[in-house]
Amino acid sequence: MSHEFELVVNGVTYPVDVDPSRSLLNVIREEVGLTGTKEGCDDCECGACMVLLDGQPVNSCSYLAAQTEGRSVTTIEGIMNGDELAEIQKDMLDEGGVQCGFCTPGMIISATALFARNPDPTKDEIQIGLSGNLCRCTGYGRILEAMKHTAADRG
Amino acid sequence: MTIAETPRFVRADGPDKVTGSGRYTADMQLAGMLAAKFKFAEIAHARIVRLDLSAARQIPGVLAVLTDDDVPDVRYGAGLADRTLFARDVVRYEGEVIAAVAATTKEAAQAAVDAIVVEYEPLPIVDDLEMATADGAVLVHPEWESYRASPGVPRDGNVASHSSVVRGDVDQGLREADIVVTSRYIADGSHAAPIEPRAVVAQWEGDKVTIWTSTQVPFTARDGVCQTLGLPTNRVRVIVPHMGGGFGGKCGFHYEAHIAALARTARRPVKLVFTRREEFIAPDRRRESMIVDLTTGVKSDGTIVARRGQALLDNGAYTADSSFFTQLAVMHLAGPYVIPNVDIGAELIYTNHQPSGSVRAPTAPQATWARESHTDEVAAALGMDPVEFRLLNAVETGKVGPSGQTYDEIGLTECIRKAVAASETAGPLADNEAVGVAIGWWPSIPSPSGAYVKLDGDGAGQIITGAQECGTGSVMTLRQLAADELGMDPEDFQIVHQDTAVAPYDTGATGSQTLFNNGRAVIAAAGQIAEQLRELAADRLEASMADIVLSEGAAHVAGSPDRNVPIAKLARIASYGELLIGHGSGTPPSAPEISGATCAGDAGMAAWVAPQFSCHAARIRIDRDTGVVRVVRVDAVHDSGTIINPIGALGQVEGGVVMGIGQAISEGTVYGADGRQRNPALLEYKLQTAADVPEIHTQFVEIFTPDAGPRGAKGIAEAPNVPTAAAIANAVTKLIGRPVTHLPMTPERVWEAMR
Repeated sequence: MSHEFELVVNGVTYPVDVDPSRSLLNVIREEVGLTGTKEGCDDCECGACMVLLDGQPVNSCSYLAAQTEGRSVTTIEGIMNGDELAEIQKDMLDEGGVQCGFCTPGMIISATALFARNPDPTKDEIQIGLSGNLCRCTGYGRILEAMKHTAADRG
Repeated sequence: MTIAETPRFVRADGPDKVTGSGRYTADMQLAGMLAAKFKFAEIAHARIVRLDLSAARQIPGVLAVLTDDDVPDVRYGAGLADRTLFARDVVRYEGEVIAAVAATTKEAAQAAVDAIVVEYEPLPIVDDLEMATADGAVLVHPEWESYRASPGVPRDGNVASHSSVVRGDVDQGLREADIVVTSRYIADGSHAAPIEPRAVVAQWEGDKVTIWTSTQVPFTARDGVCQTLGLPTNRVRVIVPHMGGGFGGKCGFHYEAHIAALARTARRPVKLVFTRREEFIAPDRRRESMIVDLTTGVKSDGTIVARRGQALLDNGAYTADSSFFTQLAVMHLAGPYVIPNVDIGAELIYTNHQPSGSVRAPTAPQATWARESHTDEVAAALGMDPVEFRLLNAVETGKVGPSGQTYDEIGLTECIRKAVAASETAGPLADNEAVGVAIGWWPSIPSPSGAYVKLDGDGAGQIITGAQECGTGSVMTLRQLAADELGMDPEDFQIVHQDTAVAPYDTGATGSQTLFNNGRAVIAAAGQIAEQLRELAADRLEASMADIVLSEGAAHVAGSPDRNVPIAKLARIASYGELLIGHGSGTPPSAPEISGATCAGDAGMAAWVAPQFSCHAARIRIDRDTGVVRVVRVDAVHDSGTIINPIGALGQVEGGVVMGIGQAISEGTVYGADGRQRNPALLEYKLQTAADVPEIHTQFVEIFTPDAGPRGAKGIAEAPNVPTAAAIANAVTKLIGRPVTHLPMTPERVWEAMR
């Protein structure tokens, strides 16, 4: 059994025809071919697979692709402003927020959602806003520093 | 140094990683690629009485099903060859691979795995470290004597490795002591838990195989494939795409040969991607659980006179790279203290648990937690301030350590003073708050390592290195070294790395050794090009070669900056003649001498090249009703020699501290009586989150260290993981009046200790 529908990712419409049990993560990576969204646990625990669904952050591993019909998905590949890195991407580089990079896409997606709903978050709000994204390399210090810079520039 | 003062350092691989364009192994797609799945034992100790693959082979889409019958009869292992690719007759832990399947889809591969029939005769579970060495204990490897092993490492039945350091006369020392304190501590095992589960892709072309794999050690992985499949090194090419973290968990040779063998049989490329559960139960790399006994004698003035100690380490079912852990554990039970009389031993004990192996600073966090908790107990027995006690007994420049090594200039006592002073700036403590202090040490590992550097005709540079980037930024820092050597900008260089076919050997992202060893290689390689450039410039500027200075992208005559020629122009000239190609390796520093100590099971770890020192002060808050410990601030001070990449070093300290907090309070493997893990998932095995982490204030005591890494640098990646759990434990003890003797110090254990 398969389900045919149009999946909108980063403003591009992709016709897909997939088994309705397949996750959004799986379809983004294997059918759409965008691999910036990572699989770390397939269990909603690590946040590496986060994407924006109509602007809201979701763990794409635990979301059915078919549920996104008629909605808009944004992945890490859709975060840049044209050819320019977004502010949060620049700050992550400048402040040393990137090490192995595997959590980075999900982290940037969470941060993007946080800044969209709260342009000037406090330190606590940033920490809570990122608490669904596990990072094993940085101890979060440099990532939080990057977020603070982004917040300062926007606030 | 504060972060505001550190120079900006943007990683060459950074833009790939923030845009999602960077490719990791699991992202790869090759034409005709199959999916692999393993049949795991799912029982901790049993004899295989029947293995039936016939139904699995009938599943549509299945192209290969392999077992021990399909690969060469080779037993492998670093230090102790006790391992085979697939289970042979007996399974010894739940994550042991019985069979491997390749099929056109993951679903078909899983269906085939599920269709494999295995019948077992269960065997007794060996899981108690003390019972395992008793007379008549069931042996995990009854045939242990037939295994090939490194010479000089004592073994006996379930003891896979034994080490000891004996110096002076410990009995006499304890008799002369005014106070003797004895403690026992038990640490659970834990996991590296990189966020990227491991992945392997293999593709054959003719009689050569290319393997893309998320390994920290590409050359070790290559050599493992060569050994187990019987191939020369020039027919196996290992490439590591971006690697999503390792922390030791991806050291060693793991599943590259299984996937290469599947790809050869199926005549198709094959990809394996582990699930999170597989990542928890299967690899032979988790942090070993440990039982520590310590007895220390002190004079009433606070001087340590003697220490007796023993550590029992859970080896798990196979030895991976852990043979030398016994000697490391001995060194950490001794610690960076002046102790004239020591008798300390450690045993690595086979059980039916997942095999242990290098996880960030192997043995150190647990052994240091035990030793530093014991140290506070000794200070308390003396009625002495624990910081004063440490300052009195710590090793320092010119002093002789417990294994008989005399230290060159080191900064341990400065680390202690700075950490304590910094922690005192945080304001008065509330009733439910305390600060604990602990110190640590860790070796730098000298190792052969090679690199090439070239400048092409447009003056653009490339560093081609065997070194492996696992996220720390150590490989990314290499271009800073090459640029400085050539008077160029780091951005003028790209790095070609982690490909065994194009670059010379390096040990890999292991032992904090990358910049320490490969940095020397890159400087040597760039130095050869610098010589070529000086010769070309001398000719063109009509000056002596000795007077040519390379800076700001040009060669100029010393004292006459106007007499210059751009390096890009020299590179173009060279492109028509003798090309600008440098190669380097450099001689690793040799091990220092020790005097007066007898070392059984010597793995070369009793004397440390360029030892690193640290002191962490942890301020914690306790909830007395629940036993929940919250870490609110850590002051971390490190002597890692010269710091070459400050923001990278800060990242290592902060990451190491947070991993240490996890080990202290939330991370521990829970085993059932059946020898199987009870918490192989991120919901049950809790890593620290962004909402949990405290303020971390880092300082470096920078001492130029001769006979070390480039510019007097030592290692940095593992050291920050060493003393954090110990510092937290000492703060907990201050608040509840007695130590929590079982790691991790979960709320239940803290609550029990309070009552």
